[in-house]
Amino acid sequence: MKRTAQVLLLVLTGLGLLHTALFTDLYLRYVKEGLRPLLIISGALLLLLGLAHAALDRGSADEEKHDHGHDPGHDHGHDHSTAPRIAWLLFLPALSLLFYAPPALGAYTASHAGSEAVKQQKRFAALPATSPLPMTLTDFTTRVQQDKELAIKGRSVEMTGFATPVRGGGWDLTRIIFTCCAADAQTVKVHMYGTPAPPANTWLAVTGTWHTQGALGTRTAAAALDVHGTRNIAQPVNAFTDDLPLTPS
Amino acid sequence: MPKTDELLDVTDTAIPAVVHPPERRRRALRRPPPTTAFALALGLAAAVLALSGTPWLNDPAVAAWRTVCLAITVQALPFLLLGTALSGAINAFVPADLFTKVLPKRAALAVPVAGIAGVVLPGCECASVPVANSLIRRGVTPAAAFAFLLSAPAINPIVLTATAVAFPGSPAMVLARLLASLATAAVMGWLWLWLGREEWLRPVVRHTGHRPGHSRFTEFRLGFQHDFLHAGGFLVLGAMAAATFNVTVPRSVLDTFSGSPWLSVLFLAALAVVLAVCSEADAFVAASLTGFSPTARLAFMVVGPMVDLKLIALQAGTFGRAFAVRFSTATTVVAVAASVLIGGALL
Repeated sequence: MKRTAQVLLLVLTGLGLLHTALFTDLYLRYVKEGLRPLLIISGALLLLLGLAHAALDRGSADEEKHDHGHDPGHDHGHDHSTAPRIAWLLFLPALSLLFYAPPALGAYTASHAGSEAVKQQKRFAALPATSPLPMTLTDFTTRVQQDKELAIKGRSVEMTGFATPVRGGGWDLTRIIFTCCAADAQTVKVHMYGTPAPPANTWLAVTGTWHTQGALGTRTAAAALDVHGTRNIAQPVNAFTDDLPLTPS
Repeated sequence: MPKTDELLDVTDTAIPAVVHPPERRRRALRRPPPTTAFALALGLAAAVLALSGTPWLNDPAVAAWRTVCLAITVQALPFLLLGTALSGAINAFVPADLFTKVLPKRAALAVPVAGIAGVVLPGCECASVPVANSLIRRGVTPAAAFAFLLSAPAINPIVLTATAVAFPGSPAMVLARLLASLATAAVMGWLWLWLGREEWLRPVVRHTGHRPGHSRFTEFRLGFQHDFLHAGGFLVLGAMAAATFNVTVPRSVLDTFSGSPWLSVLFLAALAVVLAVCSEADAFVAASLTGFSPTARLAFMVVGPMVDLKLIALQAGTFGRAFAVRFSTATTVVAVAASVLIGGALL
């Protein structure tokens, strides 16, 4: 790989990272919010590296060779003026970030994932009195399956997520949660009763009450909801966390 | 294609080096003009844009593959940059004899010391490959450098803290991870001393480090850039392989293996290899695999930072394929054994 190509590759990769992390929120489709500063620094660094290579090593590959290897230097045989061919592969993520960002994970991934097992929780705080009560899918599942006080019984709750049609009928309200990046995505699902399935990947706020199936407060209780109402919403900014939604303003 | 691969370069110069340079310079002059690079890049861009109209790229499965592949790359890039910057800095700024002075003279002792020194390199496994390579270039015995390579991503404070957070109320898991990772790293270092052969390693490019009359900063910048582009290419290759498994292997397979204690250990070790989750996150993934025994989950966390598809690609690129295949296989076996022994005792 020649000098010009290296400059181009470094600059494009740098711009790609800056585009995805600094100028837009696209990076949230792939990684956690906490990585943003690192991505911006990396983008800036790569951009600088590319520009420095373009400006400072102008003497072209030829002079670079002199510089490196007038000839005692040649015994180390390491030629920094060219990069290995494998580096061409880096153009794929760089161009993809800049021009053709892949979509966020959605119903396809959710329908192929098992439902994440919820964490063990011993003590539950009293539920606030607001109705309908905003809850995350994980909180709802934990309450239904582990809260011995049965505080969730009869309560109207509001949850947000996207629709994943279930093979064999019905649909799940789902959230995909990243721990680090999209490669370790985990899925939480709550099955919905009482409304026809909306199109896959529609973001919704759903209100309803627990769907009686199994014994509440034990593992047998189904993570399921009798839907009273649904409302379409925009995809939250923090789509891949397990938090209450922050809708774009 | 004119020689761009440094491997060619090295093998060339291994034989009387004096004969080659003039001829090589002539070949360099015969290279295509720089516009070809632009044309190629523009062609690539055009291809990407043209493809964006094609339906198969937007098929849900392909789209998920692209997302996961890009996510692994984006996640790893900052850490790869850190690693290659460190490796460039070691090469340009650290005095040549520093490491040989600090490490014990006897290689068998240097191995565990280097393994424990892994604590100081914060971050994912991608950073450790270039750093280990630069250590070897600077005269550190390969066995010690490999112990460092294996232990650094598994036992640094960030990863151990993440493990403690992922397994609240079971500090034994953190301790078991630390011990099993250190043991694996040390055993692999000693194994290399015992059985390892230099010729499996790609002829090491001897950086002479800083050479008088050259700007240290320029040396640093060019070394950094070269290492980054090199390792970055292999990272993308590894990310593609990992994304393929990630998207095609259905998670329901997990449940079929969780029943048997022996199979589950092997299965989670294999899962760690193909999923290529970064070491800062793997504890959370392990915590979510609730159907499995603690020992199996420990194996997942010990194998993951040491062997996975993107690491194998990175190692093959850095040290050569012959090395990567043998080293990864041996590491997997040792890591599983260490997890079973230490997990059995502690968990």
